[in-house]
Amino acid sequence: MQAIVDCNSFYCACERLFQPQLQHAPVVVLSNNDGCIVSRSDEAKQLGINMAIPYFQAKDLIEKNKVHAFSSNYHLYGDLSWRVMETMRQLAPPGCVEVYSVDEAFINLDHIASDQLQDYCVSLKKKIETWTGISVSIGVGPNKVLSKVANRLAKKSKLLTGCVVILNDTKKIQAALQSTPIDDVWGIGYSYSEKLKTYGIHTAYALSIKDLSWGKRFLGGVPGMKLIRELKGMHSHDMQTPRTSKKMIATTRMFGRTVSEWQEIEEALATYATRTAEKLRRQHSAAYGVSVFLLKKAPPQTDISHYHHGRQVSGYVKLDNPSNLTPDIIKAVVALGKSLFEQGELYKKAGVILSDFVPDNALQTNLFVAPKDQNRKKLMNVIDNMNAAFRDDILKFATSGTQKNWKMRSERRSKRYTTRWDELCLVR
Amino acid sequence: MSFIDTDPNEGMATQQINKKFQSGQIIQANATGFGAASDDFMERGIDLNEQLIRNKPATFFFRVNSDAMLGAGIHVGDILIVDRSLTPSSGKVVVAVLNGEFLVRRLQIQEHSISLVPENKRYGTIQVAQLEQYSTWGVVSFVIHSL
Repeated sequence: MQAIVDCNSFYCACERLFQPQLQHAPVVVLSNNDGCIVSRSDEAKQLGINMAIPYFQAKDLIEKNKVHAFSSNYHLYGDLSWRVMETMRQLAPPGCVEVYSVDEAFINLDHIASDQLQDYCVSLKKKIETWTGISVSIGVGPNKVLSKVANRLAKKSKLLTGCVVILNDTKKIQAALQSTPIDDVWGIGYSYSEKLKTYGIHTAYALSIKDLSWGKRFLGGVPGMKLIRELKGMHSHDMQTPRTSKKMIATTRMFGRTVSEWQEIEEALATYATRTAEKLRRQHSAAYGVSVFLLKKAPPQTDISHYHHGRQVSGYVKLDNPSNLTPDIIKAVVALGKSLFEQGELYKKAGVILSDFVPDNALQTNLFVAPKDQNRKKLMNVIDNMNAAFRDDILKFATSGTQKNWKMRSERRSKRYTTRWDELCLVR
Repeated sequence: MSFIDTDPNEGMATQQINKKFQSGQIIQANATGFGAASDDFMERGIDLNEQLIRNKPATFFFRVNSDAMLGAGIHVGDILIVDRSLTPSSGKVVVAVLNGEFLVRRLQIQEHSISLVPENKRYGTIQVAQLEQYSTWGVVSFVIHSL
């Protein structure tokens, strides 16, 4: 079974931990530059303050109801996130915790007997709350999609469920799917949910009884098929091999618009290389193989009706020494990209693929690794940790572009209670 | 019923060493011929974290802003090391939250009541009334005091 542990109103909970007078008060946290509302306490939700709306839209409601609004304090959230994740890593068997976002992690529970899942999760939840002060909801199901369904139900009626919902038989799964609107299924975005509604599919249950082939045809190919598989309660592919590392890691994106300048493509490739190298380090592998592809925009005169893709160009290079260090990967990727790039062409998508992995620990004990590399590894470690703590990739390699270097507004930021000696919480 | 090992200290020492090794804090032994004899006696040096932080994800710091616990050696300006994974039992010095305010006091748990006892005659014992909002935030494990 698979669990997802999700912190309840995480950013608000972080603020409340050091400002206990706000325990039952409505609290919201604003995004970078105080632009949008990104976290709401239950009390704020009940006032009708919506998620992700611009601050100015909710300003009247916030002032009228004396809602406490905070600027994002990523130092505090990053530190508390690490604490929550570390608590889980200490309590679960090695390799079972997969951090999914700043406030969510999947835990593989295959080692727990079905009739003990409830007690295990209640105990885990209690321990996380005791150690870190952050309350969590836990959803458990046969796979990740259903664990997400369970978690949503746990959060929805906290008192009734005690924030723990276990879907461990078909009856429970069916009932849970019936009460889950299609919009709330993990992985179904706005456009797909609208599309599914035109087919009369309004609940997760309605989607779960569709054939796999239907998903393949109408729901974005293989991912759609996989989604329906998981809704049916089948183990997904990566569930069957939960702890083996991936054999190939890729980061590919459509550009927001067509791109023709090498400098923009170089920045995109460097960003993807950084992402991919991060993923590689997370699974403690190093790669020999580096591939890059660029997808050109289809010329307007082509008459391949439902196929708007242009020609794809790709290249592969084998590194002399396997690496997972961002500078190495960027260097190889940019060189490959440059050899593929043609001036005057329009590009709409690019991707970086790493393959031919060896375990990273084999590298670390290698006699022939120069001390310089050890230092570079340490540097990567520092960068990964800082980026994890501060989000938004605060530390980047210069190739990735520095244009997004705006000044952050944070007028209502609380103190950095857990990361600065001079900002510790006072006690009387 | 608890399925999770409740002793936070168990295995911590080895875990910490492993972590340090992975993070490269321990200089790796390069098996390259004969090192200086003193290398054999190289140690990491004393790390205060090992002594003061038993369970890192559960350990927090506070700054003392009152002399209510003077008798326990807790002065204004001192730093409290607070371990949330320790069980708050009677007699422990704790950081408590009473009606939204952080207090450091000695916890006294009797059959039907909780009180917060100061160690300074100028302060009175606080009996926590039933209707008050009370919680024990964490147990104080060490004080850092500058002389």
